[in-house]
This record gives sequence, C-alpha cells and structure tokens, in this order.
Amino acid sequence: MTVALAVPDVLITRAQAGDEAALEALFRAFETPVYNLARRMLKRPEDAEDVLQETFLEIVRSIKQYRGEGHLWGWIRKIASTKTLMRIRRDQVRAAEPLDEEPVARGGGGGPTMHVGTNIDLERAFEHLSETSRAVVWLHDVEGYTHEEIAEQMGKSVSFSKSQLARAHARLRRMLDEGAHA
Amino acid sequence: MMHCTMDDLGALRAGEASVWARQHITTCAACQAELEALYQRVAQLKALPALRPARDRWPAVREVVRAERARRRRRWGTWTGSLAAAAALAGLLLVRPSGGQGGKLHAELSQAKQQSATLEDSLQRYDIDGRVLSGHAAALVAELEDRISVIDGTLARRDLRARDAELVKLWQDRVELMRELVNARATRARYVGL
Repeated sequence: MTVALAVPDVLITRAQAGDEAALEALFRAFETPVYNLARRMLKRPEDAEDVLQETFLEIVRSIKQYRGEGHLWGWIRKIASTKTLMRIRRDQVRAAEPLDEEPVARGGGGGPTMHVGTNIDLERAFEHLSETSRAVVWLHDVEGYTHEEIAEQMGKSVSFSKSQLARAHARLRRMLDEGAHA
Repeated sequence: MMHCTMDDLGALRAGEASVWARQHITTCAACQAELEALYQRVAQLKALPALRPARDRWPAVREVVRAERARRRRRWGTWTGSLAAAAALAGLLLVRPSGGQGGKLHAELSQAKQQSATLEDSLQRYDIDGRVLSGHAAALVAELEDRISVIDGTLARRDLRARDAELVKLWQDRVELMRELVNARATRARYVGL
C-alpha cells in the first residue's frame, strides 16, 4: 500500500491549536493507513481498531510537538508501529505467543520449485505467521524500516530482526509451495 | 552442492551478503530463482490492498478528547480562581506596609485583576469546542495561550512580598495577552458567523 498524503500546513496548524474539525480531517486522512499497518501485523481486527484509536489519541495529545520535520505520515507511522508493537509484546506476555521457528533450510536444494502463487495465497500465508514475524516482515519489506530501527522499536537485537525475517520468508515459501502443490 | 540460505538471500537483497554468497548466486540457477521469488513476494506484499476498519473509531476518539479538554478546563478554572485569590492577597500585602506607593500598586493590581477576570468571562463565550479556526487564528491563539501559561507559571512561583511592582507588571502583561486572545477568538467567531 502506498501512502501519498499531502496534508496542508494550515490543517496541521489548526490541529495543533486543538481545532476539532482539523483533528477529524487528519483522522479521516490517515485512518486507513494506520489501521492497515496495525492490521497487517496483528491477527485480530479488533486489536487493530484499538491501535487505531490509541494512535490518534496520542496524535491529538502530541501534535504540538510535530515540527514539520519529514512527512507527517512518517511521524504518525512511528506512533502507530510503536503502539502495535507494544500490543504484541503485551499479548506475548499474556499468552506466550510462540515465535516462528522455521528451520532456515538451504533454499535451492530441491531444485527450482518457485511457486509464488497469487496475492490471495500470499495474503493467507502471511496471516499464518506469528504476530512478531508479521511485524518484522511488514516493517522491513513494506514500510522500509531498517533492521536497526525494528530492533530498537521491538527492544530486541538486530540479529533477532534479521533471523525473524529470514525464518518468516522461509515459512512463507514453504506454505506457498504446499499451497501450489495441494 | 551447497545453496544459499534464506539469510543469505536476505543479505543479497540488502547488499550485505558474504563473498561466497555473491559468487554462488552468479552461477547457481536454483538460488537465482529463489532470490527472484523473494523479490516477487516482497513486491506482492507491497501490493496487497489496504484493509479498512469495520467501525468508525472517530466518535470514540472525539469523546476522549472532549473529556480530557473538559478536565483541563476545570483545572484552568480552578487555577484562575487561585490566581484571583493570590492577587487579592497580594493587594492586601501591598496596602498594609506603606500606604502611599503601596496604595497605588494596590489600585493597579486590583484593576489588572478585575480586567483579567472580565476577559476570562468574555473568553468563555467564544471558547467552545468544535468551532472552526482559520489557520492564522489557530496559530495566534496557540501562541497567546502559551505566553499566558508562561506568565501564570511565573505568578505561581513568585514570592508575593518580594517584588510588588513586578507582580503588577506581570498581571498587566497577562491582561494584555488575554485581551489579544479574546480579540482573536471574537474575530474567528465573526468570521464563521457564530
């Protein structure tokens, strides 16, 4: 999903002054990308909706601190991803979510069996990953975060981020292969 | 024959691969295909359609924002009430020690205090949530509110007996800023026809 939202400076200024109509306009402009970001990482739609709400409350409370450095979406996305990762950590503590422990097999050993499948297949396979793996894949491959940035946000090491990404792709590849041969 | 792991493929994608992996990928068709598949998966992830929330969460956000503002406004009312009480006390302290100069300062302080209270009342008429601010008015209002907050902070920290003339000056500055704030709000209200 590409987010190309040009927000007029005057709208940001009004939002910073607490103008409710301006705050709602910001919400309407960013609700879908924020929800999509959270939903791609979280398994339950209601959790993603909660993140959407928490993200915008944080935006309303701290919009005065936004000084216009970089695109507004970059600032909002950082808040949204932080909220999402906090929720994943919280849920992990509660439920001890298992990480994806797919063995990192040698890729080409079985010959060129490349079955990437359709978008729907990939989307379904992606949903079968753990929330932690989904978060790493989505932040790195789609949102363009570096492993260093992901590690910092997750409170983990860079090698953790790299290994999660590799394991997640290995698992995706296997699921897509199995789906193609089913 | 040894092939690239997914770690190797990821490193190749990031331009951080080992010498072995960089050499191997040039000659191994299977690993080239794996790397291409990795690129395709990433491209397809980026192309997934945007998911939209089933429910509108704005009303919930708005209610929390309004509740927080109402709490702040109640605190503000309590705070300005405290300021008025502090001003009355300062007036008494100014009158008692010296008569002449103290009396003049007391009169000025009382006047500033009354003007401030009147302006607070006027502001209440315009300070209603949800009304539209122009960008210019919003910036001006935000700046004025910040400057008033700074003065209020100074007034809260002051030793009232220490520098009486400075106390009067602070209250007069506050009145001036309050007047500008009321004007900004009133202009906005006229602009949107309220």
